[in-house]
Amino acid sequence: MKLAAGLSLLALLVAAPVAVATPTGTLPPAPPEVPAPLAFTAVDRPGDSGDAILLTWGDPPDLPADAVIEIRRAQPPADEWTDLAKVKPGVGQYVDTTARDGNVYRYEVRVRSAGTADSTGIAGAVGPPVVSDPAASHDNWFRAERTNSFIAMGLFTGIILVSIQVARSGRPLFIRKIAGLNAVDEAIGRATELGRKVLYVPGIASVNDIQTVASLAILGHIARASARYGTDLDCPNRDPLTFVSARETVRSAFLAEGRPDLFREEMVNYITYDQFAYTAAVSGRMVREKPAANFLIGHFFAEALIMAETGQSTGAIQIAGTADPAQLPFFVAACDYTLIGEELFAAGAYLSREPVLLGSIRGQDLAKALLLLFGIVGIVAATFGITWFATVLNTR
Amino acid sequence: MAGLLDKLLKIDRRWIFFFVALSVTVPILVPLGLPISTTSATQMAFDFVEALEPGDVVLLSFDYGPSSAPENDPMAEGFMRHCLSRDLRVVVCVLYPLGALGLANNVVARIGHEFPNKVYGTDYVNLGYKDGDRAVMRRLGDSIADAFPTDVNGRPIADLPIFHGVRSIRQVKVVFTAATGLIGEWWITLVHAQFGTPVIIGPTAVSAPKYYAYISSGQLAGMLGGMKGAAEYEQLIGKKYPVLGNYYKGTRLFTAVKGMDAQTAIHFVIIVFILIGNVAFFASRLRQGRS
Amino acid sequence: MSGLDLSFGKVALFLCFGLLPIAGFLLGLRAPSIRRQGPIILAFLAGIIPILSIYIPKRFLAHPEMGMSPRLDQYLIIVAGFALPLGIVNVIQNSSRKAIRRETGWPFAVVLLVGLFVMGSFGIYGAWTGEGIGFRVDGTSTPFKWMEENCFKPLQSTIFALLAFFMASAAFRAFRARNAEATILLVAGVLVMMGRVPLLEFIATPFPPLMPAAAAASQWLGKLTEWIMDVPNSAAQSGIIIGAALGAAAMAIRVILGIERSYLGLGKGD
Repeated sequence: MKLAAGLSLLALLVAAPVAVATPTGTLPPAPPEVPAPLAFTAVDRPGDSGDAILLTWGDPPDLPADAVIEIRRAQPPADEWTDLAKVKPGVGQYVDTTARDGNVYRYEVRVRSAGTADSTGIAGAVGPPVVSDPAASHDNWFRAERTNSFIAMGLFTGIILVSIQVARSGRPLFIRKIAGLNAVDEAIGRATELGRKVLYVPGIASVNDIQTVASLAILGHIARASARYGTDLDCPNRDPLTFVSARETVRSAFLAEGRPDLFREEMVNYITYDQFAYTAAVSGRMVREKPAANFLIGHFFAEALIMAETGQSTGAIQIAGTADPAQLPFFVAACDYTLIGEELFAAGAYLSREPVLLGSIRGQDLAKALLLLFGIVGIVAATFGITWFATVLNTR
Repeated sequence: MAGLLDKLLKIDRRWIFFFVALSVTVPILVPLGLPISTTSATQMAFDFVEALEPGDVVLLSFDYGPSSAPENDPMAEGFMRHCLSRDLRVVVCVLYPLGALGLANNVVARIGHEFPNKVYGTDYVNLGYKDGDRAVMRRLGDSIADAFPTDVNGRPIADLPIFHGVRSIRQVKVVFTAATGLIGEWWITLVHAQFGTPVIIGPTAVSAPKYYAYISSGQLAGMLGGMKGAAEYEQLIGKKYPVLGNYYKGTRLFTAVKGMDAQTAIHFVIIVFILIGNVAFFASRLRQGRS
Repeated sequence: MSGLDLSFGKVALFLCFGLLPIAGFLLGLRAPSIRRQGPIILAFLAGIIPILSIYIPKRFLAHPEMGMSPRLDQYLIIVAGFALPLGIVNVIQNSSRKAIRRETGWPFAVVLLVGLFVMGSFGIYGAWTGEGIGFRVDGTSTPFKWMEENCFKPLQSTIFALLAFFMASAAFRAFRARNAEATILLVAGVLVMMGRVPLLEFIATPFPPLMPAAAAASQWLGKLTEWIMDVPNSAAQSGIIIGAALGAAAMAIRVILGIERSYLGLGKGD
């Protein structure tokens, strides 16, 4: 009796969990599988100097909310997988910049589900890995994403060169009057009459700045005019390279005019590299020595107004020129003439009147007309919702 | 009358200088507490930083010298306070050669002191100065360690926890450049254009107008234009973070908000002189016309 | 001992900017025309290498460490470093001559020389003792740092502060309604000056009842200012930037191809 009761109790105990867990008698649901990434590729990153491999993949559908894509890498001969990165879903790509040219790598991506309260997966479950073909990085011959700017550069250069050729053929070219450049001779003549010097400030940037090169080109012309009229020239410099270049420019100009005897080393001098110490020195020179003509031509920063206003207070005729839009208003307000933007770069050609140089100015204007056309087409396209035009012209 | 008009037309500039000096000095000694409205460029910058996640890495570049420190220091300080309040990781670097390193060291030391729970090397780091501006920016695109192998104290950056998960500027969420001159523009045309990293710029007021074109074209994520921009930012972060608000209200140090009182007064003086000049100009023309 | 790194880029740069100028200089002693062509050839090479590196990412050309283009940037820094002593020698020569001959402004030349030698001495002292030119380990300033913090920085700020005064005097003189363009400049300038600061509230400060109206008007002015900066200013700035960029590109092409030579002091027929 007691044995039968115990056996029955034992049967109940064994049957009970099954009865409670599976009232209908079906198996418990299997944990959901973590999916694998799709279409995984590893290739050399295009358009670079090497040492980079581009990994791309597609996120699988039904990705758990807290999933993360793990990336691992293996390199022969050890072929051991090492962790490389973890990326959030939706990114779809990763660039391995720790790769080195000459090595062959294999990559593996897999999905890991962290298992938070929202997930129904097992905590830390990992999906099946997808392994790439062997990949190696190398440097490339061309940056494809810059094709549009390459074409634009080629077109622009071609227009300039054709215009120069046309100018060489002897066709007369019209260049509009630039008041500031027409006043250069007047300014130097005024300084000669008054027996005072010409002060030339070539900006505060170094000689690798194209505005400084343009300024040195104008300095060459002004030095020649000074040599011709016997006017004293003073060119204080802030940058040592500009100082060296300016000195050679002025020396060559005086030599070319056949007046090497008038050239003095102290005409072109170096002051200091500090921006405001240089400004203070130049301003002091303007006030004490009262040059009759001030040329402020080149790349200027905050010191532009200080110099221009000080020069204005001494009564000198002032011709300024810069391509920096931030300083232009100050020059316009404080100087008699201002070369704005491209007029500074055209000055060398304008002053020399050489047909070849004038031809390049015309080419530049043709290129600007083409840009204007693109701009108008782009505005109309954007107005009508056509975006590919702007996308094609976008550069990286 | 003619004599008076002549005198007004040719006021000795020293009178102008005198009134300018007065208009700057008095509001600094006697603060007026004038209200400051927020421009969209500053709001963009603030909203961008607010949208970042705790733990994101940002780069703060000191690209200005002592001459523009009154404008740029409040921007750099405000940005760093904002980022540390949002638990972002702040990497500081210096690309301007003259005097910027000293300014960066001072700001990092001061802000670090204000956030005692933030750890140097984990929450913020000062990489110091590197010569070569554009070359450095290009290098940052490949590897921060290549551009700055050590921090300003000589510690290898590979040993610093702040760079966990960050190898190059591509993993940085935003670059804030407090700039004078061209360096700010290079961050946009080099770093943003080539590596896609968003850039917020804090230029001096004189350079700010040229950056509106970059904002319109989407190349900038925001701008703090001059001292006004810095004051707007201080106000925004003061409203959002009460601790910062209390700091800005109570500090005796110079802030952009205090500077705005002086700027308002000086604008008033300049406008008055412009009006005087024009009234005298028109009156003298009328007089000449009659005679 | 590791061998020499004879990468193609390094060798090419050495040939272009090392051997070629020396050869050109030596040949130029005999033939002046070669002496004139030498800088133009160098300018071509120095210009074409960075342009090519923008489009051709080959390692020998564009690699951030080993490429010809980044190395050329470093060459510029090194050359500038060598040019700096030339500048310093020039400063000492000119200032000494001025002081000795008692030319106009000679006391300023003496001050410059004193400043140059004092700061230079502090820098050399810092290098000699190993202290450097920053803060010492105990937080105190080295002599160089002390001069920088207490003399150099305040002086820099002072000169920069002059801008405020000069801006006022320039605005007084330039903002006159002489013609239509000047009137537009005047009106836009005044509106932006008023809209960028709480000017109306400042004016209404002695008249508290007017403060709400002043605040409302200030908000409207602020929006107008933003529109002026965002639309006409942005358009004008873009136009100037595009024009200047084209001009710079055209100038660069002329310099690289040797068509523009006036920066060398050469003109027609030279």
